[in-house]
Amino acid sequence: MPTRQESIDFILDHYEHPRHRGTLDHADLVLRGGNPGCGDVVTYYLRLDGDARVADVAFEGEGCTISQAAASVVTDLILGRTLAEIAALDQNTLLEQLGREVVSTRLRCATLALNTLKSAEQPRRAGLGA
Amino acid sequence: MSELPHRTIAQCRADFPILQREVHPGVPLVYLDSTATAQKPEHVIAAMDRYYRRSNANVHRGIHALAEEATALYEAARDRVQHFINARTRKEVIFTRNASEAINLVAQTWGRRTIRSGDLIVLTEMEHHSNLVPWQMLAAETGARLEFIPVTDAGELDLAEFERLLARAPKLVALTHMSNVLGTINPVRAIAAQAHAAGALVLVDGAQSVPHFAVDVQALDVDFLAFSSHKMCGPTGIGVLWGRQSLLEAMPPFLGGGDMIKRVYLREFKTADLPYKFEAGTPAIAEAVGLGAAVEYLESIGLDAIAQHEHALTAYALERLEEVPGVTVYGPPAEKKGGVAAFTLDGVHPHDIAQVLDRHGVAVRAGHHCAMPLHDRFNLPASARASFYLYSTPADVDRLVDGLYQVKKLFGE
Repeated sequence: MPTRQESIDFILDHYEHPRHRGTLDHADLVLRGGNPGCGDVVTYYLRLDGDARVADVAFEGEGCTISQAAASVVTDLILGRTLAEIAALDQNTLLEQLGREVVSTRLRCATLALNTLKSAEQPRRAGLGA
Repeated sequence: MSELPHRTIAQCRADFPILQREVHPGVPLVYLDSTATAQKPEHVIAAMDRYYRRSNANVHRGIHALAEEATALYEAARDRVQHFINARTRKEVIFTRNASEAINLVAQTWGRRTIRSGDLIVLTEMEHHSNLVPWQMLAAETGARLEFIPVTDAGELDLAEFERLLARAPKLVALTHMSNVLGTINPVRAIAAQAHAAGALVLVDGAQSVPHFAVDVQALDVDFLAFSSHKMCGPTGIGVLWGRQSLLEAMPPFLGGGDMIKRVYLREFKTADLPYKFEAGTPAIAEAVGLGAAVEYLESIGLDAIAQHEHALTAYALERLEEVPGVTVYGPPAEKKGGVAAFTLDGVHPHDIAQVLDRHGVAVRAGHHCAMPLHDRFNLPASARASFYLYSTPADVDRLVDGLYQVKKLFGE
């Protein structure tokens, strides 16, 4: 398990050097999420391949360190997965990666990105259309 | 209830057990979130403990000794609150769950009976959600219009705009006595006089004023005042609606049930007299006892002494905060505000500020503080907020500022 300091360094690294930050032209899906309570927002752009797996991803966002670092960390978690696989991802995997001790009081910030991506699967399941 | 001997501000910190604890190993607590909820002195904790150990029974019902004792304690708390806010009669003091419920009570009873489609209700841009949402709900139901006194860049109400709104003959002006974000203390007495001259009633959200300085409902000459016990050193779960007797008598009851009735038949009921008409069901008895003890405690120090202490501390805090590069404090200067400092730090999200401060034992709030429209007004998604009470000290402010330098260090500034 990472030490507290290692977790902080990991989070700050993703915050200051986000992976896959930006937008995608011709995205198949654009997903927006936000925590109105604190002004954290993320927008994901996904391109799917012929097997409906995530072939490319980019995100934009604004907000606190944890929400934006998590948004970056999540991009690597979802590449190559289907939307159904993303919806089934265990948030604990992400929380362990971020450092549970550091994010335990900030779960809404830490899970915003993942929940935004999981929401891609929900409208269809609910029969509301995509 | 025994009279508490007079005590000074300097002595009072020792009265709060929680302030003696460490919040992380080796890190003493610096509690700067009293605007969210105040800490409780031993006097309040002991009064509630004693009530449950010795006097617990239901009120207004039994013939037995404990029932009488519980009733006497519950009603003594009402008397204390009556004198604390200088209400004309105890009938005007209604116990609710909190300030929010008190405001909802007025919206759902006076409002539903009085407000018609097209009627105007005037609020302000600096309201806590508890003094916005109940009126939005009423407006959605009745077709009433809501207008807002704007907040200036300096964090004060735009009173010229208020006068223009008054010309449109509002039925109600509902405003906070003190902003829970900006700390602005509004000129409620003058506003009430103008509103009355225009034919409007005035409801004051006193959640931030009643705990911190002397509030006299007769001197203010308002119509309703709402406040919460937990922000004034009392327990959660109880608050107060004060209203003019004539208005309260004309209002229909709020919740129905036991205690609020004089007589019940199968198909109808007759309401109890004030204040019981608005207190359905078994009330928060221990909490009322705790609130009474809190009032007694605050009076033993003196509201003027508390206000003076907070005023000096706020001036010191603003001075220290403004010397930190990148810090912006919102709201008017110290002489116009209560013990609240909402601030941002360039390049660091308020949640990150709060989390790093917490590691240094400093408890502040981060977010919108239940005042989203006010944050919209200042184009802020969120802010950090330090707030003070009678037990706060300059050393607390120093720890906050030291912590902010740690935040800057961590974020490489």
